[in-house]
Amino acid sequence: MRFVEVRRLHKQFDPPKGTVAVDDLSFGIEQGEIYSLLGPNGAGKTTTISILSCLLRPTGGEATVAGASITGDPAAVKRALGVVPQELALYPDLTARENLAFWGKMYGLRGQQLDTRVDEVLALIDLSDRQKDRLESFSGGMKRRVNIGAALLHKPRVLFLDEPTVGIDPQSRRAILDGIKDLNRAGTTILYTTHYMEEAQELSNRIAIMDHGKMIAEGTHEELVRSVGEEATVTLSVDRDLDRSLAIWCSVEGVTSAEAQDDRARLLVGDANAVVPRLFETANREGIRITGVNVAEPNLETVFLALTGRALRD
Amino acid sequence: MRYIWTLAAKDLLQTRRDRMAALFTFILPTAFTVFFGLLMGGLSSGSERIPLAVADGDGGVAARKLVSLLESSPLVELKMIDAAAVDKAVDDEQVAAGLLIPAGFSASLDSDVGARLTVVRVLGSTGSQSVEEAVRAAADRLASERLAAAVAVRTVEDSPRAAQVGEIVSGLLERPALTIAAKESGSKAGQIPRGFDQSSPGMLVNWVMFSLLTVATGLVMERKTGALRRLLGTHASRSQVIAGKALAMLILTMLQQVLLIGLGQFAFGVDYLSDPPALLMTMVTLSALASCLGLLIATVFRSEQAVIATTVIASMVLSALGGAWFPLEVTGPGFSRIAHLVPTSWLLDALRGIVLKGWGVPEVLLPLGVVWAFSLAFFALAVWRFRFE
Repeated sequence: MRFVEVRRLHKQFDPPKGTVAVDDLSFGIEQGEIYSLLGPNGAGKTTTISILSCLLRPTGGEATVAGASITGDPAAVKRALGVVPQELALYPDLTARENLAFWGKMYGLRGQQLDTRVDEVLALIDLSDRQKDRLESFSGGMKRRVNIGAALLHKPRVLFLDEPTVGIDPQSRRAILDGIKDLNRAGTTILYTTHYMEEAQELSNRIAIMDHGKMIAEGTHEELVRSVGEEATVTLSVDRDLDRSLAIWCSVEGVTSAEAQDDRARLLVGDANAVVPRLFETANREGIRITGVNVAEPNLETVFLALTGRALRD
Repeated sequence: MRYIWTLAAKDLLQTRRDRMAALFTFILPTAFTVFFGLLMGGLSSGSERIPLAVADGDGGVAARKLVSLLESSPLVELKMIDAAAVDKAVDDEQVAAGLLIPAGFSASLDSDVGARLTVVRVLGSTGSQSVEEAVRAAADRLASERLAAAVAVRTVEDSPRAAQVGEIVSGLLERPALTIAAKESGSKAGQIPRGFDQSSPGMLVNWVMFSLLTVATGLVMERKTGALRRLLGTHASRSQVIAGKALAMLILTMLQQVLLIGLGQFAFGVDYLSDPPALLMTMVTLSALASCLGLLIATVFRSEQAVIATTVIASMVLSALGGAWFPLEVTGPGFSRIAHLVPTSWLLDALRGIVLKGWGVPEVLLPLGVVWAFSLAFFALAVWRFRFE
């Protein structure tokens, strides 16, 4: 059995006519893996995490976390689990240390064990020097780090992070992503939700793409990209003769299709590094001046677009 | 229990750091207690007797007896001053009236001429009217005693016990054949709470009810930030989270009550400690009422603005209707009946019973039982409708 096992999970709010937030969702996470749920807002990612955290009861299906059933033994699930919510679920008028100590106590820690663990987590989130400052004086990124730290106090074996980088600066995002990788290297299994494909691509061993409560694709980044074709898109702007340019470039080796789109030439190519120089050579030879070029390697955005007909951020 | 306590301790720490909470919990209640107390008669509430200046220009046996009779009157409080100062004391309203006992009063009383007393009072003042009545009653008593003694002496003039007649008459008058017993009935005992006896319990209830704002807004904020939901992901159960919130409110309002009752007892002379067990029961009941109502408001309303508006309106209506701002005794029976539809009036019945009538546990059981019924109904509704997100 996998460390996190989800079988045909279903959640409908206010049945029988209410919204179906999670629809027949199945996946598994191996111990020590980083698994991402990628999808736009409203895809059902947060509802899935809420069900797996025992905060919501599913209307169908079953799931286990660290071998414990979310419906049969929620206490065991909670013991194994740390959850970082999307919101800053903290107390701004308490210091960083007081916040962590409070959440530690709520996870059953006491006395010396609590003090030691709070010290460790403060060091882990790099806030030891600001531990006596109230959260209201912290930057958004620092608050996010405390938000993550509060879920680590009881040394969970599996960590659920629900869009933990929303609304923070690039530097703080980098620190959080690096911290998550460190946690994973230390043995923590991670379920990560995001609508940023770059984060899913960078962090995850495997990715599930969700839309309207359903899983529409699953695999490694490479597997997902391969599943919708491996071609890159090259977009070229020319000063004149767009139709003649398209006719010429169609016959260049490595180009599989060429079409006009918004007064530009849009070409699908197998290996952009090899094909783009050839396109320039041909243009020079034919007296066509290229005024702009853009190369888009296939990515998760391409996958989502191919599967749903919509951009991920729509 | 440890999770409940951890939650409560966190809430109390947050409250301690909130300057507005300190303002609403301790500073404003004290200021309002003083303001309303002075407005309704100030420190006179400690003694309901009306001040009477007495100038004894005689100093004889009968004059001393008259003074003694007035001292034992439940209506007046004597201030012995010089005859020359009586008019000024009355004019300056230091006393409600003045009594001049002229020189030769004792001698005149036993003579055929008869004695004369002068009462100096403000015309039209009901207080000084009452004082005059009290003086008349004492003077009549003294005159009756003297008359009875004179009759007896003349009747048994040759008897060896004639010398003891005065003493015998006095003794008999101490045990009169006819007395009138005044019985207090409910909270309308004829004694309308005044001064701090009114303002201290009234403002106590008013501001403890207002403190439910703290718990209600705190809960709404926790729900808004997702902290309430996050708590459910910890090892604490739903009921422990709710109980932790209620415990914090209970402790906060109990501390508030200890301070305000201490202030009333020791600074304003309000007799809260006549029956400590009854007082403790009343305090716990008031705290429970505020906690349960706070939970209910935070459950029903989701936005901070709605909670603040509802709490302010609820605490004002409950305080005003319950008699926290003015004694229900001055209202008509119709208003009093309506007032007893809200729990605060029952609570104030118990508090004022303790303060004014020395009520003990048996007497406060009924009003406090009614308040507990309200509190449990609020609590059940709150738990039933409670949402963590």
